[in-house]
Amino acid sequence: MVKVRKGTKPPPDGWDLIEPTLDEIEAKMREAELAPHEGKRKVETLWPIFKIHHQKSRYIYDLYYKRKTISKELYDYCVKQSVADKNLIAQWKKQGYENLCCLRCIQPRDTNFNKKCICRVPKEKLEEGKVVECVHCGCRGCSG
Amino acid sequence: MSISLLSNTYNRQNWEDAEFPILCQTCLGDNPYIRMMKERYGQECKICNRPFTIFRWCPGARMRFKKTEICQTCSKLKNVCQTCLLDLEFGLPVQVRDEALEITDTIPKGQVNKEYFTQNAEVQMSLEQTPQPYGQLAKAQPPSDVLMKLARSAPYYKRNQPHICSFYVKGECKRGEECPYRHEKPTDPDDPLSNQNIRDRFYGVNDPVAEKLLSRYKELPQLETPEDKTVTTLYIGNVVDMDEQQLRDHFYQYGEIRSVTVVPKQSCAFVQFTQRDAAERAAKECFNKLVIDGKRLTVKWGKPASAQGTGGRSGDGGIFETNYEPVPGLPTVVPMPTNELKTDFFGLSSSSNAAVSATTTSFLPPPPMPPPDLGDYTSSLSYGHMSMPNASGMPPPLSSLRASVHYPSQDPSRVGSTAAHGKPNE
Repeated sequence: MVKVRKGTKPPPDGWDLIEPTLDEIEAKMREAELAPHEGKRKVETLWPIFKIHHQKSRYIYDLYYKRKTISKELYDYCVKQSVADKNLIAQWKKQGYENLCCLRCIQPRDTNFNKKCICRVPKEKLEEGKVVECVHCGCRGCSG
Repeated sequence: MSISLLSNTYNRQNWEDAEFPILCQTCLGDNPYIRMMKERYGQECKICNRPFTIFRWCPGARMRFKKTEICQTCSKLKNVCQTCLLDLEFGLPVQVRDEALEITDTIPKGQVNKEYFTQNAEVQMSLEQTPQPYGQLAKAQPPSDVLMKLARSAPYYKRNQPHICSFYVKGECKRGEECPYRHEKPTDPDDPLSNQNIRDRFYGVNDPVAEKLLSRYKELPQLETPEDKTVTTLYIGNVVDMDEQQLRDHFYQYGEIRSVTVVPKQSCAFVQFTQRDAAERAAKECFNKLVIDGKRLTVKWGKPASAQGTGGRSGDGGIFETNYEPVPGLPTVVPMPTNELKTDFFGLSSSSNAAVSATTTSFLPPPPMPPPDLGDYTSSLSYGHMSMPNASGMPPPLSSLRASVHYPSQDPSRVGSTAAHGKPNE
């Protein structure tokens, strides 16, 4: 069940159409939150959370900007209800960031040499045969 | 000693701050462009336990990150890399280097003594204008044979490889391709090399790597000097496209050469010295490291004439005999010389025993006096015959020279005799 803040206006038209999918993603998130951490590396524990968060925002983003099937009101409602991450969607609108995995991966202050994450490096610029899996969200490359 | 950065400023000046690490080429990796991370007072030195500035970098693709392990003072004390603790010049463990150069620097190991020692050493090193190795190492002899043989000529980047994945060893690594550690079988735990520690490496005691290297050096082939003292011939192998002169040019430095014979068919050569100690010196200096004209030559002792067999004097001995005609005027049957006189080729045995032993031990024998019954040889007539072609500007014909040359010092075409060209007897 998608959390909807109380005391707000009733959801716009089309909400019932996207609600089942959002519920499904929400259930997956709950499952990931409760999953045991045994056998995982320290950095690995948060990866599924980042992945599902990305998936949820991506769903709304696709519906509004790509497929153009939902109304402006419904999109605004989703953003307001924090169903979609507006900062992440803002990055996706930029050139070169169309597939960005998470916001942590473009935070230069988190790295040793004030650069972005390894998953932001285009495949052809990486050395031959190198498999990357970034420590922030487990992304295997989200550029190009 | 390790006081926290905030609590107390006592002895803070002992904390080491550095701009650049002291590293060997191997540790820096193959890429000339590297980024390093620097952390002031990041950790305590693993030898002296004082906080120092650590550097961390990746030495090339598919290598593990490395960092400095000991402080710069400790590194300078032993002239070793801050990371791998191998000598900066030779890339060898401290124990091997110290044994080869006969260095016996002792660094105190007790806590207080160690602090006092490093403090003094630091002051001493800061007073020096140009940086130079500390202690006996600065005065040590130039690279010894041991170091030359054992030292690596090129950096060994395999040392920077990632460590072996411990999960893979247990058979439960789930990372597969992404695993940054090495998926290889570990070395045998009973192997002495798998039990090393940084302090032993630094102080140069009980270092298994050093012991392995030293034992390897001892197992290197040694050239055995033949028992037979008459052997003054060295066998030179792998002589390809090389003439007698090149060999002569090299071997002349060890003593007077009686003859050099090149056998192109078997790509070898024989160098016969007039004296045994010259041959011994040449064998010792050249064995396993003779390189002429970019080619590595093998050096061995020639076979003694008795071992050649009685079936005709074939091989080197026969050729040597034909090179110079026997000195005239000598008795044809020479009585068997005593052991110490066997290297004497000049018929000096007629002089006193003491004089002969003096000549055999000296580097170059004094020019031998002609036998007294050879009056015509030293007369002005034969002397004029020698100088005549020189006066007309023509080089002396070799055949005519050979006719009157009986031993090498008389040969004007010999190396080292160019100044006295044409006047072989003066």
